[in-house]
Amino acid sequence: MTTTVTVGLGSCGIAAGANKTYDKIKALKESENLDFSLKKTSCIGMCYREPLVEIVDDTGTYIYGDVDAERAIEVIEKHVNQQDPVRDYIVYTDLFDAPENGFMNSQVKIVLRNCGYMDPESIDEYEAREGYQAMKRIAEEKIGADQVIETILKSGLRGRGGGGFPTGLKWKFARANQSDEKYVICNADEGDPGAFMDRSILEGDPHSVVEGMIIAAYAIGATGGVIYCRAEYPLAIKRLNIALGQARQRGYLGNDILGVNDFNFDIYIKEGAGAFVCGEETALIASVEGERGMPRKRPPFPAESGLWRKPTNINNVETFNNIPWIILNGAEAFASWGTEKSKGTKVFALAGKIRNSGLVEVPMGITIHDVIMKLGGGIKEGKKFKAVQLGGPSGGCIPQYLSETIVDYDSVNATGAIMGSGGMVVMDESTCMVDVAKFFLDFTCKESCGKCTFCRVGTVRMLEILERITNREGREGDIEKLEELAYEIKDNSLCGLGQTAPNPVLTTIKYFRDEYEAHIIHKKCPAKVCRPLLTYTVDQEQCTGCMVCLKNCPANAITGERKQPHLVNQELCTQCGVCYSKCKFDSIILT
Amino acid sequence: MSDQYLNIILDGKIVKGNPGETILQLATRNGIEIPTLCNDERLEPYSSCFVCVVEVEGMRGHQPSCSTRLTEGMKISTYNESIRKSRKMALELMLSNHYADCLGPCTQTCPAGVDVQGYISLIEKGNYSDAIALIKETNPLPAICGRVCVRPCETECRRNLLDEGAPVGIDYLKRFAADWDLASKDKFVPDIQPSTGKKVAVIGAGPGGLSVGYFMQVQGHQVDIFEAATQPGGWLRYGIPEYRLPNDILDQEVKNITDLGVQIFYNKKLGQNLSYKEITGKYDATILTIGSQIGTGVGCEGDDAGNVYSGIDFLKNMEMTGQRYDFSGKTIAVVGGGNTAMDCCRTSIRCHADKVYVIYRRTEKEMPANPIEIHESKLEGVEYMFLTLPKRVNKNAKGEVETVTCIRMELGEPDASGRRRPVPVEGSEFDIRVDYILAAIGQKTDVNFIDDINTNTSAGELKINKWGDIDADRHTLQTGIPSVFAAGDGVTGPATIIEAIAQARIASHSAHQCLMGEEITPAGKPFTSKRENFKKQVKEDYAGTFVNQLREEMPVLEADQRMNFDEVELGYAGEEVALHETQRCLECGCNAFFDCDLQQYSTDYNADQKGYAGAYKEYQVDFRHPYIEIDNNKCILCSRCVRICREVVGANALGLVNRGFETFVAPSMGEALQDSDCESCGMCISTCPTGAISENMLFKPGPVRTTQAETICNYCSIGCSLSLNHLNGFVMNVSGTPGQVNEDGNICRFSRFGYAYLNDRSRITSPMKRINGTFEKITFEQAFQIIHEKIMAVDPDENAFFAGARLTNEEMYLIQKLARAGAKTGNIGSFHYLNRGDGYRMDESLNASFGEIGQASRIYLVGSEINMDNAVAGFMVSNARTKGNVPVVLVTTKEESAMAHKVDQIIQVKSYYYFIKAVNHYLLANKLENALFLRDRVDGLSEYRDQMSTEDFAAQLDKAGVTEEVVKAFAEQYNNELNGIILFSEKEVSGNGSIALMNLAMISGKLGKSANGLIVLKEKNNAQGLFDMGISRNYGVGGRSLTDQAYMKCLMEAWKVNTIPGPVGECLKVNLSQGKVRNIFIFGEDPVGCEITGSYRKLIEQIPFKVVQDYFMTDTALAADLVLPASFPAEIGGTFSNTQKVILEFDQVLPSRPEMDSIHQLINILKSFGLNGLAGREDVFSEIIRLLPQTDEDAPAEKLALIYTHDDNSNRSFNYGCDYIVKRFEEDFEERMQE
Repeated sequence: MTTTVTVGLGSCGIAAGANKTYDKIKALKESENLDFSLKKTSCIGMCYREPLVEIVDDTGTYIYGDVDAERAIEVIEKHVNQQDPVRDYIVYTDLFDAPENGFMNSQVKIVLRNCGYMDPESIDEYEAREGYQAMKRIAEEKIGADQVIETILKSGLRGRGGGGFPTGLKWKFARANQSDEKYVICNADEGDPGAFMDRSILEGDPHSVVEGMIIAAYAIGATGGVIYCRAEYPLAIKRLNIALGQARQRGYLGNDILGVNDFNFDIYIKEGAGAFVCGEETALIASVEGERGMPRKRPPFPAESGLWRKPTNINNVETFNNIPWIILNGAEAFASWGTEKSKGTKVFALAGKIRNSGLVEVPMGITIHDVIMKLGGGIKEGKKFKAVQLGGPSGGCIPQYLSETIVDYDSVNATGAIMGSGGMVVMDESTCMVDVAKFFLDFTCKESCGKCTFCRVGTVRMLEILERITNREGREGDIEKLEELAYEIKDNSLCGLGQTAPNPVLTTIKYFRDEYEAHIIHKKCPAKVCRPLLTYTVDQEQCTGCMVCLKNCPANAITGERKQPHLVNQELCTQCGVCYSKCKFDSIILT
Repeated sequence: MSDQYLNIILDGKIVKGNPGETILQLATRNGIEIPTLCNDERLEPYSSCFVCVVEVEGMRGHQPSCSTRLTEGMKISTYNESIRKSRKMALELMLSNHYADCLGPCTQTCPAGVDVQGYISLIEKGNYSDAIALIKETNPLPAICGRVCVRPCETECRRNLLDEGAPVGIDYLKRFAADWDLASKDKFVPDIQPSTGKKVAVIGAGPGGLSVGYFMQVQGHQVDIFEAATQPGGWLRYGIPEYRLPNDILDQEVKNITDLGVQIFYNKKLGQNLSYKEITGKYDATILTIGSQIGTGVGCEGDDAGNVYSGIDFLKNMEMTGQRYDFSGKTIAVVGGGNTAMDCCRTSIRCHADKVYVIYRRTEKEMPANPIEIHESKLEGVEYMFLTLPKRVNKNAKGEVETVTCIRMELGEPDASGRRRPVPVEGSEFDIRVDYILAAIGQKTDVNFIDDINTNTSAGELKINKWGDIDADRHTLQTGIPSVFAAGDGVTGPATIIEAIAQARIASHSAHQCLMGEEITPAGKPFTSKRENFKKQVKEDYAGTFVNQLREEMPVLEADQRMNFDEVELGYAGEEVALHETQRCLECGCNAFFDCDLQQYSTDYNADQKGYAGAYKEYQVDFRHPYIEIDNNKCILCSRCVRICREVVGANALGLVNRGFETFVAPSMGEALQDSDCESCGMCISTCPTGAISENMLFKPGPVRTTQAETICNYCSIGCSLSLNHLNGFVMNVSGTPGQVNEDGNICRFSRFGYAYLNDRSRITSPMKRINGTFEKITFEQAFQIIHEKIMAVDPDENAFFAGARLTNEEMYLIQKLARAGAKTGNIGSFHYLNRGDGYRMDESLNASFGEIGQASRIYLVGSEINMDNAVAGFMVSNARTKGNVPVVLVTTKEESAMAHKVDQIIQVKSYYYFIKAVNHYLLANKLENALFLRDRVDGLSEYRDQMSTEDFAAQLDKAGVTEEVVKAFAEQYNNELNGIILFSEKEVSGNGSIALMNLAMISGKLGKSANGLIVLKEKNNAQGLFDMGISRNYGVGGRSLTDQAYMKCLMEAWKVNTIPGPVGECLKVNLSQGKVRNIFIFGEDPVGCEITGSYRKLIEQIPFKVVQDYFMTDTALAADLVLPASFPAEIGGTFSNTQKVILEFDQVLPSRPEMDSIHQLINILKSFGLNGLAGREDVFSEIIRLLPQTDEDAPAEKLALIYTHDDNSNRSFNYGCDYIVKRFEEDFEERMQE
C-alpha cells in the first residue's frame, strides 16, 4: 500500500501554519521524488495540536501534532523515507499509547464522521465514504417522504442549533403546509463567541450538509434551498460552492433528482453580514429576503410562513449532518446513543481555560466533567476548574459543583444554562464571574438588532450596572435591579436573543452571588480580574528597589529609594495596574 | 373548531374572535383598551415597543398583543400586576433614552403652569384674545401678572443661554396680549358651566381670592367674596404702588371677574364683623384666601421709635387714605432687599425724599428683588448700603428715630437657602442720620378669626401650623374642616402673586370636588419628559441651531419724568414689536404634546424618566426637508414611519441605521429626505406616536389645543376626508380622517401641507370695482346691481360664464342657473376643460372603484404620476403591490418618471393615445377582442373596426414610439389578465386618449366587471361636478342633453321660466377669440395666472366687462372690472362629486371671511333676475336632486359605444387645473424644495 500523507487544512490548521507545512511536504515530495500520496483534509478536532499531519502506511495510522515546516521535513524524512515514526511528535496512533489517544478514542463520530478523514473538495472521496448513499437509497427504494420523516422522528434527533426542537416534527409541520413553493434553509450563521463546530463541518464535510438538505427537501417537498452562511467563513463558503457545483454535476441537485419525478431542488448560498441576531430564524429569513435582519413574532412559524411567506424548514448545519447517517444506519442505531430524551451525539467546541481546546463529538449523556477532564485534558496550568459556560451568550454558567450534570437538553436546561449550539467555555479560578457576565452581555448588547425596547435598552442598562460593579461603583440593590431587568427582558422580547441575553447574568448571580456581593459590598474582586477593585501593594521581601514601578506610576502613588523596597500610597493609587505589569520581579501583590 | 369564529376567554369572559384577528384587535372590539406605541392598523403587526403585552395561558413570558393572533380556546389576561410592571418598565426604558422636552422650561417652572409657549404662538398669529383665553385657563389675572409677576419663567428661559443673555419677554408679551384684550370690543369671556346651585364663600379679594372666584364661577358655582377692605385687590392694591400696577388695570381685571357673576362684599372681616356661623349656613364651601397681612419690624433695639414703620403698612396706609406722604427734605432708610423694599424706596423717591437708602445685609447679588426693579430704583436715585445691618435705632427727645447704628457685614458659609450667610464685622459700627425707617423684612399671617371658625363648626378643626400659617393639606389645600380650603400667602407665608394664583387653582379644584360630592384628589400631573433629566443645558446645545436676536426692551418713562405715580413701564409700542419678540421663543416644548401617545401612557402608568437612567443618545434634529423634520431624540424606534413609507407609500425613503442601542431612523442612504425617494406625503408624520417626525411649520405651532373641523380635500379628485385643526379659524395643521374614500384616513402632501392659504390674511372680503385703474370697495348690493345692469345691457349670448373645477356642486349649479335662467345664455363652461374635447365626459361610466384596487391581479398606470398627483390612490396601488404582491405596470412618456422605483415594469411611449390605439388595433386585427361582451353590451364595433382597418398600424407604432412586440406583449397581457385595472390621469392623457382607453376596456371586455376596467383620475376635486352640474354649453344638470325636450320642460318648471337656451354650437374659446363676448363672469378660476399658452390674458382683457370671484387677488382678478370675494368650501359647506361620481358632503366648519358667502351672493344675483325661492345651500341641493335623472335599477343597462377618433387632441391650456390654490401650493412647494 502507498503511504498517504494528509495535512489538515481547516481554518484552525491554516491559522497554525498548515499551508506552509503542506507546501514544504509537497516541495519535498517533488524535489526528492518521494513515493507517497499527499492529501488535504480538514479539521479533525484537535485544534490545539495544529498543524496536524496524518500518515497512514502499512503499519497503521499516525497523527503528528504541531508539525511546522521544519518538523515536517524531519517527519517525512524519518517516517516516510526511513519507516521510522518519530514517536515524540505523534499525538495519536492506533498502535501505541500516544498523548491524544484518549481525546480521540473517547469520541463517537457521527456528525464529524468525515471531518479530517477526507478531502472536503472531492465529491469522489465523499462518495467513497458512503456519500449520497442515503439519498440514493431513498430514491432507489422509493422510500416515501412520510417514511423519511418517520425515521427522523424515531431517531429522536433534536435541533442542534440550540433550540432542541424535534427535527422530525419540524419537518412534519413543513410538509403539512400546502404551497406551490417551499424552502429548506441551512442555518450556518454560527455566531456564539467560542463556537466553531459549524464552520469546521462546512469546511471539512460540506457534502453531508448538502445531502442532509436534499433529504429534507425531499421530505417536506421543498423547491428551493438556501445556506445562510456568515461571510466571515470564506473557506466554508468556498468549499460549499465547490460541493454544490459537484452535486449539480452529478445530478444530486437539479430537476428530477436521482430519477425521482418532479423532485426539483437546488441550493444557493446567502452570505450573511455576521449579525448574531440573524441566527434567529425569522431574522435570518428577513436577511435572506434582503431586509434588515430583524426578527418578527412567531407564530406564524416558518413552517407555515417563512421565506417569501412560503412554508420553510430551517435546520442548523450539525442537524443536517446527522441526517444521511440516520437514513443509512437507521433510527435505532442513532437512538442507541444518548439519553431518554436526547439522542445521538453532540459536538462541542471546547474553549477557554482548557488544555485541549478543539472540537469533540460525544454521546449525549456523558457528564460535563468527563468532557472537560477526559476529552479536554483538564484545566490549563493545573488551575482549579471553576465553571463552564454552555450555550454562549444565550446560555449560562454551570459551576464546578454541578459538573456531574449530563449532556442532555433537559438536564442542562435545569441548571439555567442551555445546550445551545455547543460552545463550551471553561473557566478556572482566575476567572471573575461578574466579568464573564459582563463579557457576554456586552456581546448581546452590541448584537441586539434594536427592535424590542427591552433588549435594545434593557440590556444596556444591565451592562451599565455590571460595568459599575466591576468599576468599584457597585451599589446595594444592584443585584436585585439586575434580576428585575433580566426577568423583564426575558419575558418581553420577540426573539431568542433578547429572551436569553440575561441568562449569563442570571446564572452567575445564581451560582456566584457571593462574588457579586464581594464586588459590591466589600469592593473586592476575588478572582483579581477587575482592576479597580484590587489593592496593589509591594512585597517588601521581593522588591529589589529597581524603581521601574515608581517611574511608571501615572499617579505618582509609589514612593521609595533605589535598592530599597517601595511603597504604594493607597490614597493616590488609581488601580491602573501599570506597576503590576511593569514589575519584573513579581513584587506587586494584588489583593 | 368553527370556521366562523374562535372561542376565546378574554379577561375571564367568553368572547368570539375572528380567525386571523390579533389579541389587540379583539380587545379593542370588546372595549378593552390596551396601550400600544408601535401598532398602526394600516400596517402589518410589528411588535417592538412591548407596551401592549398581555398574558396568554400556556405561553412563556408576555405576548405582544398587536402581533399575537388568536387561536381556538386562547385564555388571555389583558391586565394584572405583572403586565402593568412590564408596561411601565417598557415606558421607562424608552424614556431613559428620550432626550427631549414635553414642555418648555417656562411652563415647567411657572407655579401656575401657564402654557407660555402656547400663548406666544397665539400672539405671533395676532390672536390676542385666544392667547388670553389660554392664559386664563390657569391665570385669571394676565394684565396684572404681565406687570408685576416675578417671572420665574424668564429665569429658566433657554433664550438666556444664547449670546444676548436675555430671556424671551414672556411677561411683557402677556401684558401686551392682556392690554389688547382689555381694550378690545369683544374681549375674551370664558364659557361658564351650567349652574350647579352650589355656593362658595371666599375670604379675601386678593389675587388668590379673585382667582378662586374666577375658577369656581366658571365651573358653575356661585362665588361670593368677603373682603375686609373697601376695595378689591389685597396687596395688589395696597402693597404694589401704582407706578407699577395702576389701579385702573386692577379694576378692569377685577371687573372681568365680577362680570362673570362673582360678588364681592366689602368691609367684611372674618372674625370681626363676619362670623363663620353666617357663612356655614349659606355656603357649601369656604375658601380662605386671607393673605399675609402683618408687617415685621426692624427687629433691633429701639425699633419702637417713632417714624419707624413696616414697609407694607407704609404703602397700605397711603393707598387707604389716598394721601401721598411728603418726604421733602427727609432721609429714608428702607431695610430689606425684596420687592417690598423696592416698592418702599421707589415710593419714597416719589414722595420727594431727599435721600433714600436701602440697607441690606447681603450684596446686590443675593437680593431677592427683581433685577429690573433694582436697576430702575438706581436710575431714580436710590442709594444702596450693602453688607449692612441696623443694630440699634437711636431716638431723639420726642422718641422719634434720629440715627440708626449699623454694622458692616461680610459673607460667610452658605446657609440652608444656599445664599452665603452674612456675618457681622466686629467693631465696624457706624451711625447714619435718618428721619424715617421703613422695614421691608417680612410679613406674617393674621389668623385671629380662627376661634370664630372653630367655635362655629363641629365638622373638624382649623389648625395653625408651626410657622403661624393656616394648616392645609399640601396637595389638596383642604383644611381640618372638610368644606374649608385655604390658598395663597395665608397658607404658604408671604410668597408671590403667581404662587397665590397657582394655589387658588388647586383649592378650586378640591373645592369643586367637594361640592360635587367627589373624592378630593389632587389633579393628576401629566408626565413630562425633560432634557434636564439628562444634563444641564448649556449654550452649546442651542447656539448652532438658533440665531441671536436682541430682546425687545420695555419702553419706560424717562427717569426725570417719574416724580409721580404714573406707570413706569409703557408697554410694547405695537404689534410688530410683540411679533418680533415672539420670534425669540426657541419652542423648547414638543409639538406633539397634545397627541403624544408616549406622554399619555407615561402619565397613565406613572412612569419615571429617571427610573432606568443611563447612557442616552443625543441627535441633531434633521430640518433639511422643508416640510418634515426628524428628531431622533424623541424616537422610540417603533419604525412606524419606516414601515408606512414602505408598506403603504411604497417610497422606502426611510430606514433604520445601526444596531441595538445605536439604532436611529434616517432617510435611506443617509441623504437628506428630499434627495431620497421621499414623496413629501407626510404619512410618516401621520403615524409617529411621539413627536419624532413632525411637520416643519413656518409659524410657531404652540402647540395649542385645536378644534377639529372635518371636511373634504379640495385639491385632487379622490375626495379624501381630512380635519382642519384650527383655533378660531387659524389652521394649525391638517390631519387625515377616515372617510368614505380614504378609509384609512390617509392624505397626501396637498392636504397635509397645502393649508397656508387658509390662514392668509390677504383675502378678498368685499366686492371691489376697478375705478381708474385701482380697486375700490363697493357694497354687495352695488355689485349685484352692476352685474344685473351689465347683463341686461347686452344680447344674452354676449355673456359668458365660467365655473372652476374646485367649486362646490351648489355653486356650480347656481352659476349655470344664473346663465341659463338669468342671462338666458348657454355660454357656460370651465376653463379647466376648455378646448379639450368631449373625451373626459365619457370616461366616467362603469369604472372600477378605488376599493377594487386591492383585488387587482395586475395594475396599469397610464400616464399617471400617481404618487405625486393623486397620492392617496397611489397608496392603494402601493399597498396592493407591497402587501398583496400585485405587479404594477407603468406606461409613461416621461424619461424619468417619479414612479419608476414603485413599479415592476415600465413601458416608455411617445404618445398614450397612439399607444393605446395601436393596442386596440392589434387586438382587433388579431381577433383577440372579447366578442361576447362587444356583442351584448357595445354598439359601433363594425364602424370602429372599419375605420381602424384604414389606419396604418406601422404609422401608429411610430407615433406611439414603440415596437410591435411592446404593443403585442401589452395587449395580450392586459387582455388575458384576470383582474386588470388601468388607472390613468386626465392631467397627462388627452380626451381622445381617454376615449381610446375606454375602447380598450370594451374590446377586452373588462369594463364594468368587478376589479377590472378603468379608474380615471381627474385633476380637480370637483371636475366631475362640472359634468354633473351642467357647466357645459350642451349638457344640463345630471349630464342631460339640452336637446332632450322633456328635460328642458322639466328645467323650465323647476326654475319657473318660459325659455331656456338650447345647446350652443360654437366652442366657447371660439366665441372668446372672435370677440363675441362682452361680459365674462369667472368663478373660482385663474386662467390668466395658470395659462400655458399665453393667449388667454389677451382674450380676457379685450372683453369689455369682466367679473371675477375668487379668494385672493389672482392674476385674473387683477384683470377684472369687478371682483367678488369667494368663500372657501369649508366656509360654506356643500358637496363635491369625486372622480368616481361619489357625492361627498361636508359641513361649514370655518366662519366665512367675506361678509356675504359665495352661495348667498349667487342667490342674491339670481334674485335680481326675479329667480327666487332659494334660501341657502340646502335648498340648492334639493333643487339639484330634483333635476338629476332618477336611476332605475331594473332598467336594462344602457349600451356602450366604441368611438373612433382620428387623431390626438392634447390641447391642455392651463396648468394647476386652472386653480390659483393649486398653483400657489405647487409653486410654494417647488420653491421650498429647491431651497
